[in-house]
Amino acid sequence: MTEGTLPSPDLLYEQAACGLLATTASGIILRVNATLCRWLNYNCDDLLGRKVEDLFAMGGKVFHQTHCMPLLQIQGSVAEVQLDLLQQDGTRLPMLINIVRRHHGNMTVDEFAMFMATDRRSYERELLVARRSAEAALDARLDAEAQLHRINQQLSLDDRRKNEFLATLAHELRNPLAPMRNVIESLKHQFPGASPHARTLGVLERQLSHLTHLVEDLMETSRITQGLLELRCQRIDLTGVVQSALDDSQCLFRDAGHTIEVDLPDVAVLISADAMRLVQVVSNLLTNAAKYTPRGGHIRLCLRQQDADAIISVHDNGIGIPAEALSSIFDIFSQLAPALERSQGGLGIGLALVRGLVALHGGSIEATSAGVGMGSEFVVRLPLAAPLTSAPAVTTQAALESGVRPCRILVIDDNTDSAESMLMVLELFGHQGRTAPDGNTGLQVAADFMPQMVLLDIGLPDINGYEVARRIRAAPWGHGMFIIAATGWGQATDKQLAQDAGCDAHLTKPIDFTKLQALIQQLPG
Amino acid sequence: MNVQHRNNVQVHSEGQATMLFAHGFGCDQTMWRFIAPAFHDCYKVVTFDLVGSGGSDNNAYDRQKYASLQGHADDLLEIIDTVASGPVIFVGHSVSATIGLLASIRAPQRFAAQVMIGPSPCYINDSDYFGGFSHADIDDLLDTMDSNYLGWSSSMAPVIMGAPDHPALRVELEKRFCLNDPDIARHFAKVTFLSDHRADVALSLTTTLILQSSDDLIAPVQVGEFMHRNMPGSELLIIDNVGHCPHMSAPGPSSEAIGNFLSRLPG
Repeated sequence: MTEGTLPSPDLLYEQAACGLLATTASGIILRVNATLCRWLNYNCDDLLGRKVEDLFAMGGKVFHQTHCMPLLQIQGSVAEVQLDLLQQDGTRLPMLINIVRRHHGNMTVDEFAMFMATDRRSYERELLVARRSAEAALDARLDAEAQLHRINQQLSLDDRRKNEFLATLAHELRNPLAPMRNVIESLKHQFPGASPHARTLGVLERQLSHLTHLVEDLMETSRITQGLLELRCQRIDLTGVVQSALDDSQCLFRDAGHTIEVDLPDVAVLISADAMRLVQVVSNLLTNAAKYTPRGGHIRLCLRQQDADAIISVHDNGIGIPAEALSSIFDIFSQLAPALERSQGGLGIGLALVRGLVALHGGSIEATSAGVGMGSEFVVRLPLAAPLTSAPAVTTQAALESGVRPCRILVIDDNTDSAESMLMVLELFGHQGRTAPDGNTGLQVAADFMPQMVLLDIGLPDINGYEVARRIRAAPWGHGMFIIAATGWGQATDKQLAQDAGCDAHLTKPIDFTKLQALIQQLPG
Repeated sequence: MNVQHRNNVQVHSEGQATMLFAHGFGCDQTMWRFIAPAFHDCYKVVTFDLVGSGGSDNNAYDRQKYASLQGHADDLLEIIDTVASGPVIFVGHSVSATIGLLASIRAPQRFAAQVMIGPSPCYINDSDYFGGFSHADIDDLLDTMDSNYLGWSSSMAPVIMGAPDHPALRVELEKRFCLNDPDIARHFAKVTFLSDHRADVALSLTTTLILQSSDDLIAPVQVGEFMHRNMPGSELLIIDNVGHCPHMSAPGPSSEAIGNFLSRLPG
């Protein structure tokens, strides 16, 4: 191989692998190499003396003026600027440009080196597009999250309003029930034994009782949801609870032709619980079993101890529960969805209440079913009470039965129907009663009638019940009267207010006549 | 909020009267280094960066506030309040001349005089008005800025290739001149080049020198003439210079012209 000769610097400049160009500081082209002329499709002579900016599109011209020129002035060079150069026919050619400013004697020369950057430009545009779509996706996600957050807030607000509405609704629905029950009681008392109205009264009584249960379930469920339900826990034998619930449900089973098998332990199953609430729990489960089992079915009720738990199970061979419904069966309104089932399904309040009551007792409930038509089983677990040597368990029935001792009773209530029907019942049971529609009248009647007991509504049109109680207590004649405050909600604060005002007892409206009777019996003779 | 930090305000000299220099689109206050020293002896010379440019606090770039040049004009008035108790001599290049115009309309008492270098109240041609650009030109500019996006974000400024005649610059290698955030720069370009403040020109009563390059692509001579025609109390001086930055490429004649103008101010 023979030794070659390196081309002259001029030739190297002309044929360089990049476009080369030199201008004055104001941009007049002094020299341009053949490579660049070829790329731009110009004759070299055509470019000499022209402005370099003429080779740029408008954006490039402005960019050059506003960005490159100041930088050349300040730091003498610019690197990696991307501008489009225009070919003679106007076609754009993406270029990567470096510029150095040099001073040759008095002359200042800007030297440009240009590289084709078509592929790089496409690649960068792709990156740019990718970045923009990523940003857009991020924005969209942030928007969606913000919207989700708003919806969640709205939902919890709606949920709270719904609960408040249900509580108010149940409360309002319950108020008319007490006078109706009082009227039925008095009618029954007036026509004892077989009477022409016995059937009618029976229908009224059953339907009213059904309605009362529904309303009470609804109210208590919403109070549990709102954290307002309080338990009155005592040490009790769960056997009594189960037995009591069973007694309540016997006629239901008899009417449906079901057979019931009961398996109770020989020993007492002691737990700390609100007996009335647990009777409600078991009754609800038994009622459901009776309702969802075709006529002539078989139901098994079992109470046993297992480790530290008391276990109540109710098994039936009824219509069963589809697998997909098992998880939601304890949710309120869970039975609203399938319209066809509504005829026998009700609102689905019962099981929600059962779960709520069991949870309040620190227990749990589980439903199992092999599927539609395969029957179902509900199992309630409640923690056993710690063993205790003294204090025998209170029997469930203890306070319910008692004789009647006549008594003078004043009923102060602005709901005339309530007051009158209560009076009717009281009188039927041999008591002597008076009514007053407001606080001031009540005080006058009290001074005159000298009742042994005052049944005092708290929400009165003139002065409230607490004030009435205070004034009775302040009167010379009022010291010995037994004052019962009757309020709608029965919250702890109500009770405290009643106690502070001088009331002896507190009952939740509508007044449970049995409870009232129990209080009457406690009065000193 | 600290105005000095937000706008990277720099005080270079002390003097009774204050000269405040505001840079134009595409650069930062570094561009004043060729001309401002001429005034160090007689004036308190103050330079700063527009929010979104140079060493300003980019976190303060609120796209709502700076959707119009008025946002920058409000900043300018705050800067004046920070650095001067009396009225100032304001020197604004390019878009900053317009920003100064808006500020001088809002608070004329804060301006003793203004020098507008290469101003343009409206860049886009509009029937009889010649601004030098069409809408398509502006679109092309924004597209060009997009193209330089990646180059900008890494190496637009720091690579000093040789610069054999600028040994002093080597010391400054670490410093990045005119390195602006690409997203902000694009937004600022749009706001600048789509702005139309022709109606405001006549509202500024401040004594004004319009310094116009004889050959300027961004602000053609016709635009300088339009400004002069519509601005009461303005004088127009056309300086022999190619390009948009006479204060950089012709600092001698520029500072001389400004000095002459200032010497003729009353008081």
